[in-house]
Amino acid sequence: MDKALERVMDALDVETFFVCGSEEAGRNYMLGLLKGFGFKDVDIVFAQYEGPGVRVRGRAYVYRPADRYRWLLTEADGGAGR
Amino acid sequence: MSRVLLAPLDPVHDIGLKMIARGLEEAGHETVLLPPDLTPEEIVSQALVKEAQTLLISRTLGYGVAELLARFIDLADAAGLREKARIGIGGMAVRRELAAELGFDAGFGPGTTVEEVACFVERREYVPDPTRTHKEKADMTAGYDYGYRHPGIAAKLAGISALIMDWVKDKTSPGVERARLRDELWDVKRWRSREGNGALFDHYPALCGDVPRKFYESGELHPKTRRFTKDEVTGLENYLAEAKARMSVLKLQHTRRRPLVFNQYGTGCPFMDIGHILASEAWGADGVVHFDPSWGARTEGFLDGFLTHQEDGTVITAANLNRIGAGLEKSTLWQVRAHRGLNTPETVVLAAKLGADLTKINICYGSLGAGTDPERLTVDGYHAILYAKKYNLPFDVVTNEELAGVPAHKAFAGMLIVADLAVRLGARPILQPLFAYSPEVMIHGLMEDNYIDFNAAKVQALRGIVNAPIWPGAPIGFLTHTEDRVQSAMATALHACLAAALEVDAISIASTDEAYSGGPISAPAKVDTLRAVQECFRFLGQAAITPTAKADDYAAAITDGIERVLDEVLRTGDFVAALHAGVLGSREEGAYPGRAGKDTVRTAK
Repeated sequence: MDKALERVMDALDVETFFVCGSEEAGRNYMLGLLKGFGFKDVDIVFAQYEGPGVRVRGRAYVYRPADRYRWLLTEADGGAGR
Repeated sequence: MSRVLLAPLDPVHDIGLKMIARGLEEAGHETVLLPPDLTPEEIVSQALVKEAQTLLISRTLGYGVAELLARFIDLADAAGLREKARIGIGGMAVRRELAAELGFDAGFGPGTTVEEVACFVERREYVPDPTRTHKEKADMTAGYDYGYRHPGIAAKLAGISALIMDWVKDKTSPGVERARLRDELWDVKRWRSREGNGALFDHYPALCGDVPRKFYESGELHPKTRRFTKDEVTGLENYLAEAKARMSVLKLQHTRRRPLVFNQYGTGCPFMDIGHILASEAWGADGVVHFDPSWGARTEGFLDGFLTHQEDGTVITAANLNRIGAGLEKSTLWQVRAHRGLNTPETVVLAAKLGADLTKINICYGSLGAGTDPERLTVDGYHAILYAKKYNLPFDVVTNEELAGVPAHKAFAGMLIVADLAVRLGARPILQPLFAYSPEVMIHGLMEDNYIDFNAAKVQALRGIVNAPIWPGAPIGFLTHTEDRVQSAMATALHACLAAALEVDAISIASTDEAYSGGPISAPAKVDTLRAVQECFRFLGQAAITPTAKADDYAAAITDGIERVLDEVLRTGDFVAALHAGVLGSREEGAYPGRAGKDTVRTAK
């Protein structure tokens, strides 16, 4: 895992405005983008489509509760350390 | 004393530099402030002529800033200025990373304080003062005498409290018995010293349901939980020590004292909770509320140990609460909810012994909106109130049955019944009306024009009845939030503004993930709402929000409605029967008497 990602407490949000013709297209662009970044646990938090395109916020959970958080674990244990 | 030249590298903007110049002068430095719209060559030349020891330049406009600053630093190098003066750059367009990359001696971004710049000028290391905002725990019940202002309602409540006290006097339940064991046999000091649980677990498992009993008999855990590993526990201790050393807290209220701001935690994992709580405290939350899983409320007895949970809600165990409580800032108020479920009185005892400041109890909501059998919760709620009194733990009386569709006046009648009972038992209840776009509001069009009148009317009605603390929740703005981060933060912040204008004692706020159901609440979502609330409090200051005349009508209608409901309870002659009969919220209104704990009340020996 990337060093910076290890420091994310829980989730990474990505937000933008896609020029597209429907909300569904915008949602798919965002999910594709997040998966393209290598994230597996991804979702759309918010999307609003109007004529020019879609305002969208996607989320990738780096950790879910009960995972082993690398920001918590020490270097020796393979974590990010502090 | 240092000679400081300040120059805006900008056509018009120099307000920030003027403030910095004034601060440096007050600190004893000689300052020269150049006018805007000079060229880099002119600024460098002036710095040499004035023999400045420090040059501070600012840039507000963002266009071409990197190129401009790079050219400036090259020019300063070529003119020999770098050997004579240290150069700092600040302003809205500046980022510390850019300043460092270009070779400036310092970079000051938005939000820079005069103290930070003075440290640079004086060649001192800037150390943010961790005590810059000093907070202390506040007792929101102080100053309230619970005196009634509405004699008619006072008399009816007295009659209902007498009914309840008579009904419960010879009754007990497994929940009451477990609380008694926890109260009498569990010494928290010995437990913290690793001297065990005393004789508690000799008797406790026999009073538990299947899941906790199996845990105590065979060590089997609930399937959605796991124990933390040793390296995780060590990691938490290190993380907490390091985060605490850097910790400072913001104050949200600007020039007001109230309302205190609470937010909820309960990701399922105590470690993630601790991370979220630290972020909430740093960004200004005055208190935090423990949110436990719904299955915990339907389970007789608590598990034990340091457990994480894969789904929403953090499991109540002594070890979990102890870790979370130990991580809190000294000023942070800590509430552990006991408002529904089969562990209500024991939750109060456990939370109090582990240092909680507040709890949450409501027999009516827990029975009608949260799945607990009315008979059981009347007995358990009564004892929970007695323990809240014993351990000096104020509690809010939540009215979330409104979210199911129960009208405000019925929910308030239930709240006032529990509050009156509590006062008679010597406890200190806090009224918790909802600030919400509730089904009642939707159906009757009570907020067609604004979100102010009906919420203000609720506070007005309660204040017309009794002199008691008021803590709107939970969270404020319920059902007005959307998944949009900006809208959600703004909805909360505007309701917070209304709460401040109404001078209530506290509020519970959501995160911007309130309406998002796809996953756990994230730390940034908590921070965003706190920032919005802070900005709204700054905007409002001591100014007022004026409801329309409709608020008076709504308040009168709520008060009349409460009185009618209390009459009906008295006519029924039995509080528990009134709960079943729908007097305090009917099935048609979305209130269903709960079944958890049915037929478990028995006569006390």
